[in-house]
Amino acid sequence: MRNRVRERRTQRGLSQAELAAELGVSRQTVISIESGRYLPSLPLAFAISRFFDLPVDKMFDPDDEEAGR
Amino acid sequence: MMSFIRPRWRRPAVVILAGAAFAAAWGVRGGPHWSLWVTLFGIITLARGFWLYALSGEDTDAGALAGSVPDERQKSLSQRSWAVSGRFATTAAFIGLTVAVAVNASWWWPFLAILAVTSVGYLLGIGVYQAQPGD
Repeated sequence: MRNRVRERRTQRGLSQAELAAELGVSRQTVISIESGRYLPSLPLAFAISRFFDLPVDKMFDPDDEEAGR
Repeated sequence: MMSFIRPRWRRPAVVILAGAAFAAAWGVRGGPHWSLWVTLFGIITLARGFWLYALSGEDTDAGALAGSVPDERQKSLSQRSWAVSGRFATTAAFIGLTVAVAVNASWWWPFLAILAVTSVGYLLGIGVYQAQPGD
């Protein structure tokens, strides 16, 4: 599943640790989400989408299997 | 129950309490070298407790779990690891029971007990976490 977390994070000039602190998760979890190794729970997916002001279906694209790899 | 203990101290505290109970069991058991065993298990327990405390300061998944501050992915990681542990225990107990039966040994029952406990635990988990009908 493709996601735009890394793209949006770098656009905002945030480090992975800073984003993790904002979302209340670990830096390792942000790394795992960005690399596509971990699919976040619905609450976390919505929290990410809200943080970046992007609809959740724009932040996470289920039709693109290549993303984040 | 343990909210009055700082998260970083929770797992070391559990390990130290469990280790102290085990060391005390050797003291209660008695025998010629009881103090040696109590001292040995006491030292091992303290070392493991301090190691867990040190580990909990690391910026890793293992550190978050040791420090009792896992996020959702790390909780899932821990649950999956426990599932692997349960499968290992069940498989080992089954192999042990099968071998004990094959050689007509008298030590078959601990394997049966472990197999029973892991099986009941699995069924209990299904019962607790399965979807509830009727909403």
